[in-house]
Amino acid sequence: MTAVISGETLVYLAMALASVLSTIATYMAVKERDLIRAVVYSALQSGFYSILYYLLAAPDIVLVYIPVAVGLVPGVLIVLISKTERWEKE
Amino acid sequence: MRSIELVVITVVVLALALLIAVAYENIIPSTAVRKVAEFYLYAAYNPFDLREYTAMSPEAVTSIVWDFRGLDTLFETAVFFLALIAGMALARGLYRETPQFKSEGLSLIVKSVTKITAPVIIAVGVSIGLHGHLTPGGGFQGGSVIAVAPMIFIVIFSVYFVLERGVAPSKMLVLRSLGLAGIGLTSVVLFMIALLRGSFAYVFQNMIKPGASISMPAEISGALISGTLWFFNFFEMLAVAAGFSMAFVVVVLMRFGKGE
Repeated sequence: MTAVISGETLVYLAMALASVLSTIATYMAVKERDLIRAVVYSALQSGFYSILYYLLAAPDIVLVYIPVAVGLVPGVLIVLISKTERWEKE
Repeated sequence: MRSIELVVITVVVLALALLIAVAYENIIPSTAVRKVAEFYLYAAYNPFDLREYTAMSPEAVTSIVWDFRGLDTLFETAVFFLALIAGMALARGLYRETPQFKSEGLSLIVKSVTKITAPVIIAVGVSIGLHGHLTPGGGFQGGSVIAVAPMIFIVIFSVYFVLERGVAPSKMLVLRSLGLAGIGLTSVVLFMIALLRGSFAYVFQNMIKPGASISMPAEISGALISGTLWFFNFFEMLAVAAGFSMAFVVVVLMRFGKGE
């Protein structure tokens, strides 16, 4: 008896993994006191989201999500953090 | 304390997932909606038996975004640029465009690599934007990819390097306005032509429609441009790339309170 895993199941597994990891990345981004690291976690979460969008067959969204959420938004946030304080207070 | 928090979050996430799974089993969109989707897919590129409704673009998403539901996208663009204008108005007087001092930037290796990769980024962005009617992508996608290149230059070199090369907020404002004017012109050009000729056409019309026989060119010397879609994508790309670059340069240049 051979274990049969179809391609569709693999896609669903990858989607489940990406969503779980994105949830963890969101938690880390919220809990992190160092704001620069929080921005990196947020970009990581966006990366998992773009994998999800790609697997859900929405390449149009992926193409706008990657430059905006991994490139432009962290860039603006890091510049703004550099103008205030790096560490979040209690 | 932290473990309790983790348990609560895990339970909430799992419960939400279960809820969505159950909802997916029970809530199915009505079949009337599917007819619309079927029609859009059938009509996106169909010069054969739907000549009066087709958008002449094999990319169904772009043909919906800029043709079938074009007015929605026009107002989305308007909202985006209103937000940008509001941001610029808030930043007025907080930045100077003239270079004040030279900045070193990062090491020579990083600079050389950036000089090679940035043109590639821009080329990919232009390709995504101008092929929006053929492959996934479009004006907004291409424009935001292009806008990453000035951002990388600002980080690796300095903001003054970018300013000296002409990516100044005032010039970007002009480019952005050109893009917006292009989108406006493209949406009324057929209407104006029909008005001059004394015939009839709709605003935002692309291909021939029932009762309006005037049409944008679907292809130029064998290359498919899908009428207005190519022009919309091109002008949107200009406007978005210029808008994002302008916003980023202004944010970097801003000095809060002190300075001056």
